[in-house]
Amino acid sequence: MRIPVPALLLFALSAPASAGSLDLRIVDQAGKPVPDAVVTVYPAGGVPRGGFSFTPGPVMTQENIAFVPHVLIVPVGATVRFPNHDKVRHHVYSFSKPARFEIKLFGKDETRSYTFTTAGTVALGCNIHDQMSGFIKVVDTPFAAKTNAAGQASISGLALGTAQVTVWHPSLRAKDNEQKSVVPIPASGAVARTVTLILPALR
Amino acid sequence: MRTRLPFPTSRWAIALSSRLTVKLVLFYGAMFAAAALLSLWGTREAIRANAEQTIIREMTVGSSIFDRIAAMQIEQLHRAGEVLGSDFGFRAAAATGDAPTIESALDSLAGRLKLNHAMFVAQDGTITGKPGGFTPRDRERLIAALNEGSETGIARWAGEPHMVAAAPVKAPMLIGWVVFARDMNMADLRALAQLSTADLHPRIEPLAQVPPNLRPIGGRVAAPVQMTADGERILVQARPVQNFGSGDAQLLVLEYSLTQAMQSYMPILWSLLVFGLLGLLVALCGVVIASRSLTRPILALAAAARRVSEGEHVEVPVETQDEIGLLASSFNTMVRDIATRERQIAHMAFHDGLTGLANRTLLREQLALSFQSGDRRGFALFCLDLDNFKSVNDTLGHPTGDALLCEVAARLSAACPTGFVARLGGDEFAIIVRRDGTSETMVARALIAALAEPFAVNGHRIVVGTSIGIARAPQDGEDGIALLKNADLALYRAKNDGKGSFRFFEAAMDAEAQERRSMEIDLHEALRNGELELYFQPLFGLSQNRVTAFEALLRWNHPTRGMVSPVDFIPLAEETGLILPIGEWVLHEACRAARTWPDHIRVAVNVSPVQFRSASLNSVILQALASSGLPPQQLELEVTESLFIENVEATLASLHSLRALGVRVALDDFGTGYSSLSYLRSFPFDKLKIDRSFIIDLQANNGATAMIKAITGLADALGIETTAEGVETIDQLDILRKQGCSQIQGFYFSRPIRAGAVADLIRELDYQEQAVQAA
Repeated sequence: MRIPVPALLLFALSAPASAGSLDLRIVDQAGKPVPDAVVTVYPAGGVPRGGFSFTPGPVMTQENIAFVPHVLIVPVGATVRFPNHDKVRHHVYSFSKPARFEIKLFGKDETRSYTFTTAGTVALGCNIHDQMSGFIKVVDTPFAAKTNAAGQASISGLALGTAQVTVWHPSLRAKDNEQKSVVPIPASGAVARTVTLILPALR
Repeated sequence: MRTRLPFPTSRWAIALSSRLTVKLVLFYGAMFAAAALLSLWGTREAIRANAEQTIIREMTVGSSIFDRIAAMQIEQLHRAGEVLGSDFGFRAAAATGDAPTIESALDSLAGRLKLNHAMFVAQDGTITGKPGGFTPRDRERLIAALNEGSETGIARWAGEPHMVAAAPVKAPMLIGWVVFARDMNMADLRALAQLSTADLHPRIEPLAQVPPNLRPIGGRVAAPVQMTADGERILVQARPVQNFGSGDAQLLVLEYSLTQAMQSYMPILWSLLVFGLLGLLVALCGVVIASRSLTRPILALAAAARRVSEGEHVEVPVETQDEIGLLASSFNTMVRDIATRERQIAHMAFHDGLTGLANRTLLREQLALSFQSGDRRGFALFCLDLDNFKSVNDTLGHPTGDALLCEVAARLSAACPTGFVARLGGDEFAIIVRRDGTSETMVARALIAALAEPFAVNGHRIVVGTSIGIARAPQDGEDGIALLKNADLALYRAKNDGKGSFRFFEAAMDAEAQERRSMEIDLHEALRNGELELYFQPLFGLSQNRVTAFEALLRWNHPTRGMVSPVDFIPLAEETGLILPIGEWVLHEACRAARTWPDHIRVAVNVSPVQFRSASLNSVILQALASSGLPPQQLELEVTESLFIENVEATLASLHSLRALGVRVALDDFGTGYSSLSYLRSFPFDKLKIDRSFIIDLQANNGATAMIKAITGLADALGIETTAEGVETIDQLDILRKQGCSQIQGFYFSRPIRAGAVADLIRELDYQEQAVQAA
């Protein structure tokens, strides 16, 4: 069941008469841009229930002994496929609360899938390759985005009012690796914010 | 004389010996003791330093052993933790918070690995498992260390050191750590201690409890520190260990008792001390022996030197070739040299340096010996005196005179081979001849003959004769002194008899000599007692027909002897030198008397050769003239021809200096003495006095008249006046007048008269002469 994203967006954003957007830039304490941080926004006016999707689609590939992408955003209820492009076999597992599962030893060009029914962060590992690490962010809001290499994420179509903005990053030392803030959203136009995350130094 | 002790037992010898030996023993003993002590001290220091070095090395080794053991055990824990932490099931349990599963897993491992602590520390700080005896602070430190990323090290929990290993648990993100820990109990540390050779009492202590001077500075281990505890010196060092987490650092403290370490070396030091003392004893014995061998020859030398100083001839044996031997041989050389020199000195004391004959001293000894020997036949002493030796010395010089004396000595020895020949001094010799059948007369003749032969000395042919006086022992003297004196008297007489003769001593000679001696004493007194008196005899000028001068004549009126003739006492005065004060007195008296006379009358004064040769004659004359006020031309000095026998040059020089005073000079006794006319040419005498012997012969002998004529002719030609002495008759006067004599003197006119009678006589003679002229 694949829904084209632009269609979904159009559908979602068409409801409010006017809309504002949020331009976030995520940096660490040293001012360096932080990629692969997930921003989720919950406007005060609420979020539509279901019927939205994200780009890229719900596919977590194992390629070169790594999860690609490293961080994947999917809506609640999405079924994520796990194609193995490596020559070796993988044993994907998750001990995360929203979804505890194991996909045991599947080989090259085999695809398994799993349906995520609860919002939250699912940390993926491979029991064979300890160094493999990936995250699936299961969200219940269409206003979610992942920072690019420049640490930027932009979310548009937000209604006037305040919005709760949550920034997640796997290295963030906080409850659920999240940092939350409330941001006023203008009727139209963009509000720009820079969020600084205190991340442990890379070792 | 002091009894001499044999030298080894003499007291001062022992004193010297002990002094030198004691000195040497003290000196070398002190040196050796110092060396031994120094070596002992040095050894002790070296041992101490070595012990310290060893301990420090042990500490380094022990510390590294500790590090390695600790690291090994911790690594073991760490690996076990990693195994558990990566176990899928454990991870699942840890990720899902399945505490019972986690605890059971930890329990089973703790039992298997004998762990004191096994726990899972979640990232949020929740601890699952057995933290056992954890204080909240320990827990904080643990979590802080885990967050720092510490995985292994030593930490102090509940006051006890622990080896701690932490392994992260990833699911796949880090969700916590498996932490294993084991007590570092005493047993572990003991095991460590057993691995090193020294028991270093290792213990782990918090940095804060370690004294600051032991703490590592800038990552470097501090040097060991010496501490004293319970009287023991202890070397302590603190070394860093791998800490678990940066808080609450721990140090490994190692210590070692230096006192105990040194204890093990004590036997070495004791044996060193004992052997040092033994060595000292041996060295002292050696020094005593060496000093004995040194002092013994020195003492022998000292004793020998003392005996040499007492006059003995002692030599010491030369036993070695070293410095002592050299000293001994030098000593012997010195002793021999001293003996040689003593012989030389003795020879010089008893012998004449020039001829090598015995001297007067030895002659006296020989005479004494001869008297002592009591030879029945007796002996004779010959005293010899060379004739005219003085003129040889004066004319040919002393070197020639000395050479002549040597020749004379040789001839005397040859002529009298059995005699004892001695030189008494100058040209005097003496010979002792034993009476052995040859008569003294023969000996004397032989001696005279031996010296009568001309001598050839230094290219000169010299003729000297000798006069000999002989005294016979024992009849001519009871000892050597008397014999010598008597031989001398005989010699004196022989010389008076004429040169080249000999005389035996006769008792009368002794009486004469004593008479001379007594007269000499009286003559000394005569001048002081005013016993001398001047008489004046007039000289009558034949052309002027009046008295022209008076000759001053000395008379001695002795209180007991009466009038003593000048013939008797003038020679004595000349011999004794009394002629000098007497002559001075005569000059003064004559000048004083003449000052009262008319100006045309001069005074004539006889000057003895002794006076003439004295350096003071000129000043005496000047004084006499000055004190009397007599004009110099009124003083006429009469000198005899004998002056010309000796040094003519000096005589002429003296005559000219007298003439320079302005006085007149007359030649007395002309024609009897030295018959050379050359000096008449050399010095312009004012007057010749023709000797009375010519006058006495005048009437009996025509030749005498011719002689007078010749003399007056010669004098006239040279412009010299003539005076005839001893004129007693009118006939003599007539002849003299006829022969052109200027003046006459004699009894015909007047005997010598006293000074007070001079004035009357002048008057009377002037009258008498007028009568003569008239006749």
